[in-house]
Amino acid sequence: MSTGGGEKGSGGGGSVKTPADFLKSIRGRPVVVKLNSGVDYRGILACLDGYMNIAMEQTEEYVNGQLKNKYGDAFIRGNNVLYISTSKRTLAEGA
Amino acid sequence: MATEEESTVKEPLDLIRLSLDERIYVKLRSDRELRGKLHGTEKKKIKGKKKRTQRRRNLNLSAPGAFRPPLSLLESRRRTQAYDQHLNMILGDVEEILTTVEIDDETYEEIVRTTRRTVPFLFVRGDGVILVSPPLRTA
Repeated sequence: MSTGGGEKGSGGGGSVKTPADFLKSIRGRPVVVKLNSGVDYRGILACLDGYMNIAMEQTEEYVNGQLKNKYGDAFIRGNNVLYISTSKRTLAEGA
Repeated sequence: MATEEESTVKEPLDLIRLSLDERIYVKLRSDRELRGKLHGTEKKKIKGKKKRTQRRRNLNLSAPGAFRPPLSLLESRRRTQAYDQHLNMILGDVEEILTTVEIDDETYEEIVRTTRRTVPFLFVRGDGVILVSPPLRTA
């Protein structure tokens, strides 16, 4: 029932008290954003707001596990977001 | 871990503000994509409040074509942003790409078709927007 905010994918250190704290803590980290449509976006989280609107950098779009697109900057409308998860993503591509 | 913070960007909507008057790529529901110019400020600047007498002088009704369309009232008020928190947007010189996938009954082959059309001026309802991005300039 606790689906407020985003859930941390990999349990890491740090005591996260509220969803708002979580949202503040994951800025600048590589994240995986899954949309309701099933499309995956991996990138570095620039910022997000309470509606779960997301701004990301170096974004890669995965459809059915296949890399489809790359975006330098991407803004995702919050209503489409299913979850935001942190990931230990290895930055394969150079800037 | 790159903590790249832009000075004036606090929320994602601010990032879109940086793309005003730029060409952007918009992904919509129903497998649609748009590429167009996000309408931002026009050249008209806010001149500030003028006294009534000055405004009348500037009207210059005698000059041909002096009638200003009502839209100018909006433009003179404030910086016009052609987007809002719902992601309703106004785009200019838009190309819409519609993607359909057909599966052949016999061969089970996926035929991907794209239909394109260009629209000079478009209002996009924010409801259908999934993603907004500036188009890739460098790989």
